[in-house]
Amino acid sequence: MTAVSIGCRDLVVSTGDRVLLDVASLEVSAGTTLAVLGPNGAGKSTLLRALAHLGGMSRTGDVLLDGQPATASQLRAASAAVFQRPVLQRASALDNAAAGLRLRGTARREARRRARPWLRALGVGHLADQPARTLSGGEAQRVAIARALAVEPRVLLLDEPFTGLDATSRADLIADLRTVLHRLGAAVLLVTHDREEARALADRTALLVAGRLRQVGGTAHVLDAPADADCASLLGYTTRLAPDLTGCGELLVARPERCQLLDPAASLPPNTIAVGGTVRRTVPLGGTTRVDVDTAAEPVAVLTTAEVTALPGQAVRVAVDLEHVRRIPAAVLSSSGAPPSRNAAADPMD
Amino acid sequence: MDVLVQGVLDAVRLLASGDEDTWSITALTLRISLTATAIALLLGVPAGAGLALGRFRGRRIMLAAANTGMGLPPVVVGLFVTVLLWRSGPLGELGLLYTPTAMVIAQAGIATPVVAALTAAALQQVDPDFVVQMRALGATRPRALAALLAEARLPLLAAGMAGFGAVVSEVGAAQMVGGNIEGQTRVLTTAAVLATSRGEFSLAIAFGILLLAIAFAVNLAVTIVQQRQTVRR
Repeated sequence: MTAVSIGCRDLVVSTGDRVLLDVASLEVSAGTTLAVLGPNGAGKSTLLRALAHLGGMSRTGDVLLDGQPATASQLRAASAAVFQRPVLQRASALDNAAAGLRLRGTARREARRRARPWLRALGVGHLADQPARTLSGGEAQRVAIARALAVEPRVLLLDEPFTGLDATSRADLIADLRTVLHRLGAAVLLVTHDREEARALADRTALLVAGRLRQVGGTAHVLDAPADADCASLLGYTTRLAPDLTGCGELLVARPERCQLLDPAASLPPNTIAVGGTVRRTVPLGGTTRVDVDTAAEPVAVLTTAEVTALPGQAVRVAVDLEHVRRIPAAVLSSSGAPPSRNAAADPMD
Repeated sequence: MDVLVQGVLDAVRLLASGDEDTWSITALTLRISLTATAIALLLGVPAGAGLALGRFRGRRIMLAAANTGMGLPPVVVGLFVTVLLWRSGPLGELGLLYTPTAMVIAQAGIATPVVAALTAAALQQVDPDFVVQMRALGATRPRALAALLAEARLPLLAAGMAGFGAVVSEVGAAQMVGGNIEGQTRVLTTAAVLATSRGEFSLAIAFGILLLAIAFAVNLAVTIVQQRQTVRR
């Protein structure tokens, strides 16, 4: 089996006159995992389905296998996909895991023989003879993943496969999948809205907002250095300190959990930036408390584990250690619609 | 009440005696209705699949038409086929009127909408992402469709049973296009009607019992297959 990379060039997907997706270029090398992170409706699933030539969408541009434009049948032969909901057949777990091979023309006995180890690798080997309909959501998704892996695809497409699982099964499955993906050596595209999934599984991460790639690079770098305001909120840097408030020429963003509330009279710790405002409301979230503070610009949110004594209407300061502040240059401040350039911002690690 | 009890007893006696005419009528009934059902499946399953999965103008209207067709009065179908096959009609030259073939045509016309509508319903019950998922595992379009039909096999068997049930029990079309000719086109339903009109109640009841037995036997066979699948899943 030869390793294959998957990618696309000038891929545009539209319905009617609305452009759902416009990706100038993207590549996932063999043996690596790319996470495509984006909010709901960003076009993540559209990208995945377009790469697999699935769905009756109007599409222009090329999907590339090893840099060469690929036909639908080449893509079908090379790839397998797992969707958010495990769509299983009315059959045993083993027959479901073997279904991908059966659909590709492998004889039943051989397909079952090859599928069994993948069920075991995903921790559901003991359920092989169970009817698929009796499986729990997590077990069914494990079977669906085993089914995709059993065909030993050179390209594996994962469309939010952990959504709908409870926290424990999700964490277990991510750990198991990480081990398995390592062994498979395929080019893996993981579509998700959860940055922790990207952190756990992906070598590289791409941020997709409103159908366009805004940022592509090493996962650790991308998750830590948002290129624009949309990327910042996607990555959890949702507390925005506008230039008017801070006197900097740039938008400063921070994670709400990195912000703290200070009394206006208290002295500012070193290497800290602070803005003044009044408390609008405090919302206890069990363990943490969210405090919304009205400022001269937009409201900012603080998430704190400390006891909050400030009452609504009271003057406070919101302070952040400079280490936890990210700067969004004024040139890319345009926060909605198209980014200034069609090409995604690339980081030095690329 | 006595008439009924006496009728049933006579009917059982008649059936036990193995009357040759009765058995040839039964065999013809089975042949015509099973053939008509087979044709209805050949036409109705693809039509139903097209209605369930297709994206074309007029799909909903056609689906509504197929659903209406489930309640199509056999007499109307019989009338339509009679006019078509009438000596001076468009297909009159074929000389099919009052033959078993004409009865098969009429009964297939009754059963096809039933099969098509139930097939469409059966396929629409399957997860809407099923075909996309099969395609995403590497299936060609025909293979993905075959997998979909296999997934819906239980309700599809029910569609077949409903089609057979609709034709084996109907009398209007069989009478009109077959003519109830003894030894040629007489089936259990038309024979029962004739016997009743002549006051031969035992004979009519005997035909009725046979008709029920056939319907039961065919449905039992299919149900056994269906339930075995359910247990296995």
